[in-house]
Amino acid sequence: MEQFNYSLININSFDLLIGLGLILIVVGLSRWQNLMLEGELIVGAIRTLIQLIAIGYVLKYIFSLDNWYLILSFIALMIIVASITVTRRQKKQTKELPYLIGIAITAGSGVSILVATQIILQIEPWYEPYYLIPLAGMVIGNSMNAATLAVERIDSEIKNKRTEIEAYLALGATSKKAASSCMKAAMRAAMIPTINSMMVVGIVSLPGMMTGQILSGTSPIIAVKYQIIIMYMIAFSVAVSSLILTTLRFRRYFTRNHQLIEEAFE
Amino acid sequence: MKITKIELINICKVKNERTILKNVNLKIIGGKRYIFFGPSGSGKTTLLRLINRMDDPTSGEILIDGHNITELPILNLRKKIGLVFQIPVIFNGTVKDNLMAPYDIGAINSPPNDAELKHVLKLSGLNNNFLIRKASELSIGEKQRVNIARMLLNKPDVLLLDEPTSALDNSSATRLLESIMELSKVNGLTIIMVTHQLEYARLLGGQIIDIQDGAIINEQL
Repeated sequence: MEQFNYSLININSFDLLIGLGLILIVVGLSRWQNLMLEGELIVGAIRTLIQLIAIGYVLKYIFSLDNWYLILSFIALMIIVASITVTRRQKKQTKELPYLIGIAITAGSGVSILVATQIILQIEPWYEPYYLIPLAGMVIGNSMNAATLAVERIDSEIKNKRTEIEAYLALGATSKKAASSCMKAAMRAAMIPTINSMMVVGIVSLPGMMTGQILSGTSPIIAVKYQIIIMYMIAFSVAVSSLILTTLRFRRYFTRNHQLIEEAFE
Repeated sequence: MKITKIELINICKVKNERTILKNVNLKIIGGKRYIFFGPSGSGKTTLLRLINRMDDPTSGEILIDGHNITELPILNLRKKIGLVFQIPVIFNGTVKDNLMAPYDIGAINSPPNDAELKHVLKLSGLNNNFLIRKASELSIGEKQRVNIARMLLNKPDVLLLDEPTSALDNSSATRLLESIMELSKVNGLTIIMVTHQLEYARLLGGQIIDIQDGAIINEQL
């Protein structure tokens, strides 16, 4: 990879403490303004520190092992955690929801990661963790946020439009047809943040991965090319994940005979 | 084939551990008018919803011309036995947009032409000028008529009407009932209407099925 004549400045423990000082100032601001966010800020800052340091060591260990099933297991773990996180954010947490989210995220992010690593980048070996894990992390993270929006929206749309859905069913519509406006609204809600970020990337925001590559000495031209691929991967994964998720989730409100399930609305 | 007979045999319905219908037996003959009459909460609407399978009974069976209702294709059944709700449901757009709904959802295969749209409007007691009106701006009575017109595009044999006059003033209710009577007399539709107002039950004519506490207590002509 093309590198600048540039050496990355290391960050030591003292530097991290200076960074933490910024958080302490925010804690002071919170107390001054009576926002009552001090506890959450401190916990958040400590969790950021511990979680990221821990993951740094985990990644270092996984990278050193050069073991494909460990790398795939790590990606599977990311999807499991993402699925549980999305489920916990929902008002109505049904038993099957984490599985539906897992299927949706695996399908959406799986295809985009395969295309990026095996067709575009053609990484060697195929499981090269330096590429596979950061790419998977970004795509899964974005798909997780999209899944949260998609589930929230499909649930609220179906509940709010119950009478309209029943009217369509009474006219002879299938349950999918009757709920189609709800599914479209959920997909739009899930995809709009990604589309918005594609609109402003490079103008209003410099994405984290691109910034990271530039900081580590990669030519900005190469960094932006990576970023372009990432944005397209995310758009694909978000769209496919939310499509699959809304298609699977709406079914809980209907019987096979296109009748509403009363209990699902409680 | 036109529906000529609907039989409800030992129908029971339990919801949330509450018995809504108890051992209901009833025979509906095609082309006639029936009124499910009784106080609120007596099970009239629940019974109505079983006839086009918006819900299923907890036990008992419903036969349509001798065939068990659960063996008939449900989407076709709902076209043949149309249900109009107590509160009219209006979709976005004009009255014409609303009337196109059966085509949009695939219930009918070809889009209705203007003559068909005007015909169902007329049957429902509305004139042609309504086609371009914004549906959300209509009165409740007019919305109810649009709901009936929309259902008529499916060419049903049976029309189930759940308290269609409940939100209407006296004169609007009377006019709507006259239109419904016309549909039965001129077009041979079987009408089953739910109401708790005896004057409307009498005005529509036909057989009054008196329902109380989930059971039929009287059938009178």
